[in-house]
Formats: sequence, structure tokens, C-alpha cells
Amino acid sequence: MDKLGVFLCTGCGIGDGVDVDEVLEAANEKGCTATLTHECLCGPEGIDAIRGCISENSLDGILLAACSERAKAPEFAPLSEEVPAVFRTAIREHCTWSHPADAEGQDAEDTTMLAQDLVRMGLARLSGMKPVEPLQEEISDVVLVVGSGRAGLEAALTASRLGHPVTLVEQGSKLGGLLADQVSIPPEEPPYDAPVPNPVPGLIAEIEADDRIQVLTDTVIAKITGQPGQMEVTFEGPETIEQTIGSIVQATGAKPYPADNLGHLGYGTSADIVTSYDFEKMLASGTIARPSDGKKPERIAFIQCAGSRDPDHLNYCSSECCVNTLRQVAEVDKIDPSIENAVIYRDIRAPGLMEHFFVGIQKSAGMMMTRGDVVGIEANGRLNINLSNSLLGDNVDVEADLVVLAVGMVPSSADGELIRELHDSRHQAEHSESSQVREASAKRAEELKDHEGTEILNLEYRQGPDLPTLKYGFPDSHFICFPYETRRTGIYAAGTVHAPMDCAQSAEDGLGAAMKAVQCIEMAKRGEAVHPRSGDTAYPDFFLQRCTQCKRCTEECPFGTINEDEKGTPQFNPLRCRRCGICMGACPERIISFQDYSVHMVAEMIKSMSIPEDYEEKPRILAIMCENDAVPALEAAAADGATWNPWVRVIPVRCLGSTNIVWIAEALSAGVDGVILIGCKYGDDYQCHYVRGSELANTRLGNVGETLQRLALEPERIKVVELSHDEFDRVPKVLDEFAEELDEMGPNPLKGF
Amino acid sequence: MATIPIEHSSDSRREFLRLGGENAMHCYQCATCSSVCELAPADNPFPRRQILLAQWGLFDELMGDPGPWLCHQCNDCSVRCPRDVRPGDIMASLRAMTVEKLAFPNFLGSLVGNVQKSWPLLVFGPILFWVVLLGLTTGFGEVETHHGLVPGPAMGQYFYDALVPHSLIYIVNFAAVGFVCLALFMSGTKFWKLMGDKQKRSGSFIGALIGVVIAIAFHTRFSSCERGVPKRRWGHFMVMWGFVGAAVASGFAVVFLYADIPPFSWFFALPFFSDIGYPVPITHWNKWLANISAVLLVVGGIMLFANRLKRGDKLVGQTTAFDRFFLWLVLAVIATGVLTEVFRFVVPVPMAGLVVYVVHLGVVLSLFLTLPYSKFAHIFYRTLAMVHERMTGGK
Repeated sequence: MDKLGVFLCTGCGIGDGVDVDEVLEAANEKGCTATLTHECLCGPEGIDAIRGCISENSLDGILLAACSERAKAPEFAPLSEEVPAVFRTAIREHCTWSHPADAEGQDAEDTTMLAQDLVRMGLARLSGMKPVEPLQEEISDVVLVVGSGRAGLEAALTASRLGHPVTLVEQGSKLGGLLADQVSIPPEEPPYDAPVPNPVPGLIAEIEADDRIQVLTDTVIAKITGQPGQMEVTFEGPETIEQTIGSIVQATGAKPYPADNLGHLGYGTSADIVTSYDFEKMLASGTIARPSDGKKPERIAFIQCAGSRDPDHLNYCSSECCVNTLRQVAEVDKIDPSIENAVIYRDIRAPGLMEHFFVGIQKSAGMMMTRGDVVGIEANGRLNINLSNSLLGDNVDVEADLVVLAVGMVPSSADGELIRELHDSRHQAEHSESSQVREASAKRAEELKDHEGTEILNLEYRQGPDLPTLKYGFPDSHFICFPYETRRTGIYAAGTVHAPMDCAQSAEDGLGAAMKAVQCIEMAKRGEAVHPRSGDTAYPDFFLQRCTQCKRCTEECPFGTINEDEKGTPQFNPLRCRRCGICMGACPERIISFQDYSVHMVAEMIKSMSIPEDYEEKPRILAIMCENDAVPALEAAAADGATWNPWVRVIPVRCLGSTNIVWIAEALSAGVDGVILIGCKYGDDYQCHYVRGSELANTRLGNVGETLQRLALEPERIKVVELSHDEFDRVPKVLDEFAEELDEMGPNPLKGF
Repeated sequence: MATIPIEHSSDSRREFLRLGGENAMHCYQCATCSSVCELAPADNPFPRRQILLAQWGLFDELMGDPGPWLCHQCNDCSVRCPRDVRPGDIMASLRAMTVEKLAFPNFLGSLVGNVQKSWPLLVFGPILFWVVLLGLTTGFGEVETHHGLVPGPAMGQYFYDALVPHSLIYIVNFAAVGFVCLALFMSGTKFWKLMGDKQKRSGSFIGALIGVVIAIAFHTRFSSCERGVPKRRWGHFMVMWGFVGAAVASGFAVVFLYADIPPFSWFFALPFFSDIGYPVPITHWNKWLANISAVLLVVGGIMLFANRLKRGDKLVGQTTAFDRFFLWLVLAVIATGVLTEVFRFVVPVPMAGLVVYVVHLGVVLSLFLTLPYSKFAHIFYRTLAMVHERMTGGK
């Protein structure tokens, strides 16, 4: 963009906090076409003034030097229809609120210099921006639902009700999933006091009557290629079908945790110790009998958390077993009230209104409940269950004739990572240069060979055939901020594959995921990103002539956006992209650029900072901060009256993972005394919107230390900090501490060269 | 650690459910009850643990537990319970169960425990006994009395001791009291031992007992309960002191009767005891004592009864047959006692007086005989539990 305008708001204390003339002068020095100040830029008069200035000067880019982009967004939004490039710099939060001249360590001159730098950086960014042409692709309306349990059925019906054609694929011969043959389900509406009939047969009938839903049973997915909106799916079943679909709801459910692993709960030592799934079959048959002798049990003991919440088995709560057990107790009571039921639990988890169900069953069935950890189960005619950690404090014994283990759930996606590992191991076993690696890989491949053929989606993605998963095998990407989202754009998880959940939650989850799937299709039609940069139409452009096939982008993209051809050249799929810029940060050749965000643009921003040569007076610190968590935290601190070191210059980035090492080099060679990168928490409980961005940035910078030493620079001049959104009280301290550390190191020796 | 067998389906558990314990099955052990209780000892709080033991059917543990007896059923716990378990009622059921289980002889415990079915026998049995006894001895005719030969009621005359010779009352009631003492002693030693087995005691029994008696005299425990109690406190206070006053007055009445017998005669040298003849005049202080006691009993009894009528109020708690029998019996003793006096002085109708008097003697006998097995036994168990508490470091 060449014809740029700077609009400086003087309201909210900005006009009093900085020398307005000097700020405008800095803007003019950078060659902007027009400048304007207004005491209330966001008001109707201010907006009209901007509009007038745009048309008068035929501006193609405007810099709103006012408040944070989180403030007054609806007021300024209409401007983007009048001018191709709008950039906002938060003078209010980053400058005047946080650097009042009367505060300790602050000075009016420094505050004005900070505002000048913010304006210079904004103009530098704007001048690099190009107009965005949204993608116009042909998009399929079809929603593919994989799996036909409660979540899958609800998802198919929801997508159909929203007017989309649906293909429902089920590997088994009939629909219904784990619930298909269950006698009842826990209540889903008031008064929540007794089991209710299984809704699945009704849903199946509804699906079969729906013309928009195509049902494929006995069918698996052989291959999926392409990108959301244009996925080519090959189904293999009674016949091979090829179909183009728009988005996918994966509702493939969970598997019962293998009871063979539950020897400590006596499984396998007696035929009368069964799983809750076996017991459900007994309930469905209408007769309750001990498998060993066919006699009616006098007492049934239900043991909760069989495998769940156990670090040696499933280190999470399977969420539905407690309430399901209560339901089974109610069913036993219906079949034969003379049978006693004892429930052995760690905590009964009957959340929300299920409390009424819990009380209802206790009242009607009069069962006995006790907290306890099972020490062992001894079979001596009856089954003697010894418990420690009982509510009395002492060990207690419970005798029963039949023991039902409420086994936990393993998501069907849990195989995904292992399949990936199996494929990798096989590849290494054949291709590795080291014989040691070849042997180890061959051994691992052998261990994992049972996972062969457990692929569900069979995605032809460079990063593997199924959804990547988190710690426990669930395919979430960021469950707090983006429910249903997986790490594959356009593929949404629903039901028990998504998280452990009960029947009612699965229904809701299927509905929610179907709405996301439809949203994805609709946004793809407009060329917009679904999330987290919802509505963003810019996308990365690869200047492949300069690509060295290093594969960093294809490996590092957390969303599997980029495939490779045989030579390793990246093949970008814009509709899979979430616009985080991690590929841009990874690329050593700097050939990946968005229309409005690139390595070059940020480098220009860094270069545009004025760096006083006299360190004693004016050191400079560059803070590259995540715009999703760290910057909002900083702005919250400013709103809260916090102040911080005036030498800091903040550049918000889409994700810390988009940080290219070049920026660091650029900053240090320009004489900046130190660079601090503040991103999200990473690790198992990561908070990064883009899953791995902050972690990748940290890894990349770990490699920079050596380079710095060669340049005779202290590695401590670069610091990476993890920070969460709510730590607004910490972020000013982080900046101040870094400033002090730099002060001890002295000036950047490259300053002034 | 000891392993405790959980008894889920024992007869005791059924018994407990019958005595009003069914709500114990909803308890999820949040311990709100124990935390709101003002009376629960800090190191051994009730009623959470008692509810758990009851859920599991471990009644042997509960029989020797002082907890249910330390509870004065203010029902703070029942009001606060998030699960409508009504721990106050559970404690009441446990008390009823303890009385029944520790009864001597056992069958009488079961008889009174099943009062819902056995009440006609328990009430009409003693009345019938008196009718038969009087028929056999005096024949309701002319009788030799203290005052010489007087005509019987059938002849239109009117002296209670002419109708029912005092000697008969002594024989019957002293025998009953002797039996009650034996029964209470047997049950009490069992209870005392059970409590001692679970918790070691130390210090003086007598010292602890004196403290407990003072506490009971002023009802200090009742006053530490936060709510639900004021009405019951004063009702109970009046009934208790009414019984004490009535007992003292009856004691002196006996003494006055035998003023001329040497073992008692020295009394009458004392200032208040001189100048007494039989019948004792209505203006005499012993009559005052007796009448004031009667008023306390009537007012207190009505207060307690009226309180129990508020059904569905959690602060009142559930009224079981066990409670009802005791309350009715006490009210019957009070009512017939007062009527007996009224008939004598105000409405001299000889036949009606006789009937009321015989009914009175019957219900008094019933009250005596069922004392170790009815709710009345709480006098004894609660006192022992409070002594035990003091001897194990409690307040």
C-alpha cells in the first residue's frame, strides 16, 4: 500500500499523554499521505472524518492510532469496506495509559517517543500489505458423519435439518453404536428420577425416513484426499463409492476398556466377575444369573472406576459409568427386587440434575453404597470384596454373588497416534542409516502391528491417516476455546470419541459438531477461515521457486495443512489452513507470506523503530507477544493502571510460532538491546490456540543461542516466557525484570554499527 | 486394620427401616449433619458415622454408641441435610432400636418395640389387672380401712382408699418398681460395658454423674441446640419437673399416712411436718406441690403434644409409634391423675371416680412396667451416655 493515512485519536487521555504534534511529525516523516486527529475517533463524527479523509486523499491503507483492537471493534469495522488495509495500534493501552508522565520511571518525552514508534511500526506494516482476494472455490454441501451412535445419529439429523445432504457411514451392519442394544438410558429431562427408554431406535427410524441422509452400513473409508469443502472420499463396502464431501463429523465413539487388564479387580479369576457391557446383555435378556452356575445372585456388587482414574490404566474419569451403574441398579430392581445391589465407588459422579436420579435410585432400589478402593476379590463360593479407604477408615468386606466392573471408555481415536508411530517405525526400519535405529524401529513396529488396519478416516495427509490426539487419545485441539475442533480443519469430533460423556451429552455433542461442520462449509464458500481467526480471508502464499524442500513447514504445521510431493515440495491446501503463520515462522527461506502478514512486514516494523545510539539514556527492548493471550493480558494490566518499562516496544503476532528467527537477527543488528518473546503455556496442558506454536518458537530459539555467542552477544539477550491470559498482574513485571537483566548486561555491542 | 463385614440384609436392618430409618439410605456422607451439630463431640462427631453404620447394617457397633443418646434431636441436621436424610430421625430410630435390643428380658423389649400391634395389651392389660385384683380382694364392697369400716362405692360412699386399699397399691407398685430397677440395671450394665469397650473411660463415676444431673436439671444441653428446640425444651422441662414433683409429693403422702409408725414419727417433730392428719387437706403444702406438679405436667405435656402435631416440619421430625405410645401414656397418666383429684373434690360421683381411679392406676402401672422398654428409658440411657461422655473427656 502506498497512500497511507494516520488517524490519531486524542480522546481517552491520549491527547494529554503524548505530544500530538511530534507524533504526527513522525508519521509525516515516514511518508504518509494524510494525518488527522480527533478527540473521539470512534464516535460518528470521528468515523465520518476518517471516511472524508479516505475519499479526499484516495487512501489505500489507514492506521488507527487509538485503542486496542479489542475495543471499539464494531465502530471501526465498517471502515474495512472503504479501504483495503486497516491496521490498529493501541496507543491508549500500550502507551498513554501504561506510561503516564507522572508515574515513577516514566517521562513525557519517552511516552511520546513510544507513541512515535508505534505509529512508525504501524505504517511499516501497512506499507507491506497487499489487498486480499478471498478464495473462490467450488464447495460441496455434503456433511459426512462417521459412526452411528447417539452422537452420529444426532449429527446426521442436525446437518440434514440445516438443509445439507448427509452421508452416514457405519462399519457395522446396523446403526446405533454402543447404545444399540441397551435396555434404557439415564433420564434426560425432569424429574430425572428413573431410567427412560432408549431413544436410539427412534432416531434410526427418523434417519431412515430422511431423504437427505444417505446411510452406508458395512462400509469403511478407504481414502480421503483434498481439503474441507472439496474432500474426495472413497468408501469401501458392499460397493465402492466415491463422493465429494464438504466436512466431516467423526462420531466413532469409544471402546470399553479391555477388562483383561483388570486382573487386580479379579477379572478372569471367576466367571462371576463381568463387565458392565456383559451385564447389560444380561439385563437385555431379562434374566439375571451367575455365569458360573446359572443361579440367581443374592447380591450384585458394582465396582466403579474399573480402569478409569487409575494411572496404570485410564488416567481420566470415563464420566458416564457412575450414572450408568445407577441405571443398571434400577433395571435389576425392575427385573427382581429381591436382588440386593451394592455399589462400590471412589466418588459417585452424578453431575448436575443427575443428582435427582441418584437420590431416586437410592430411594427406590434401596441399594447399599460405599466408598472404597478394591484391595482384592476372593472367590470362596461367594465373592468376597475387600476394600480399603472406606468411609469408616477401616477395611471392609463386601460379599456378593456377582461382580459388575463398570469399565471405562477408550476413544476410538486413541489408535491414531499408534498407527502413525507404526508407519513411522516401519519407515525407519527400512530407511534409517543407523543400524541401531533400524533395529529399534523394527522392534517397535512389531509391538504395534496389532494397530494395522485400525485407521478410521484414512486421510491422505502428510501427517498421518487419522486425527492427532492429546495425552489420553482424544482428538481435541483446544477444548476450552474451540469445542468440537480437532487438529484437522473441517473434521469435527463428537460423542465419546471427543471426550468421555454420557448419552445425553453425546446427543448435544453430535448437534454441536454438525453445526460446526455446516459452518465450515458455509465459511469455505466465502473463503474465510473457520477459527480461531474466524472470517479471515487472507491465506499464505508459497513462493515455491525458492523452496529448498526442507520440509519444515510440512512437519511443523499443527493442522496438517501442507502435503508434500515426492520430492518434498510443499503442496499447500488453503482450506485446511488456520492462518497461524507457523509455517511462515518455520521457513528458513522466508518464502511463505500472507497478504497482510509476512516475515518481511514484521522485519520492516522492527527496522522502523528509532534506536537512540546513546544507550545510557534510551535502551530499546523488542517484545514479540502472542496477540491471543499475552497482548490481551498486557492491555488488561494497562486498563488496571499498571505501568512498565518505557523502552519496551511490543509487536503483537498471530502466534509465537510464526516468529521467524530473522526478526531476532534484524532486531539485534539494528541495535535493540534485547528481545523477549511472550507466548502461551505449552506442554500437555497447552493453552496455545494453534496447539504447538509457543512450543515450536521455544525450540527454534533454543537453537539461536549458539549463533548469538558467535556474534559475541549474550544468549540472555533473548528470553522466552510462557504466560496465560489471566496473568495480567504478571506481565508488566516480566517486562520490567527483563529490562533490569539487560541493564546489568549493558548495551548491545552492535548498537550504532 | 480390622475388617468389618458389611451386613446388608440382616433382620436388624429391616428392624431399623421399620423404626423410621429408611431415609438413611439416601445419605451420601457429606457430613453436613456432623458439622452443624452443636452437641457432637469434636473428636467423635455424630450423626454421619451412625448413619453410615446403619446403612451398612452394623447395628452391633451402634448399640454401644453414646452418640444417639447425646443427641437431643434439635433437628438442625435434618433441616440442613441436602439429601433429606433427616439424621435427627435416624438418631431417634437408633435410640428406639437400642432400647429394644438391650432390653431385659428380651421379649418385653420386642413387645414394647412392636407397640403398633401390642398397645392394647400394654394399656388395657394393667387396667384389667387392677379390676380383677380389686374384684378378688375387696369385691367392691364394704371394706376395713385406715378410718375404720367404711362403705364401698357400690354403697354410694367415697374414699379412694376405701375403694383401693393402699396396701394393694404398695404391693403392686413396689413390685413393679423392683422389676423395673432390675431390668434397668441389667440393660444399663450391658450398655455401660458396650460403651466402655469402644472408648476408655477415666475419672470418677459419681463426680461425672453429679455434673450430668445438674446439666439435666437445668436442661443446659437443650439450650445449646440452635433451633427447633425452644418449645420442646420448655415442654420437656415442665414435664420432667412435674414428674419429679409428683414423685416427691407421692413419697411424702406415703410418709404422712404412716406418721404414727415409729420409723417415720420423728419426721413430725420437724416444723413443716407437724399437724398432719389423713386425708391431707387441700391447703397443705404437699398438696400444693402435687398440684403445681400436675399443672407443670399438663402444660408441658400439651406443649409437647402440640409440637408433635406439626407434621412435615423438619424441626419436629417424624413421630413413630414408639414416640406416640410414650406420649399418649404420659398424657393418660396426667389426665387420669388430675381427673381423679377433680372427681374427689369437685364432682363427687363415686362410680365415675372409681373408674377414673382404676384407669389411672392401670396406666401408671403400664408406665412403670414399660419404662425400661419405652421411650421413657431415655432417662436412663441418656444419663449413662452423658456420664460416659464426661468420663471420656467430653463436656
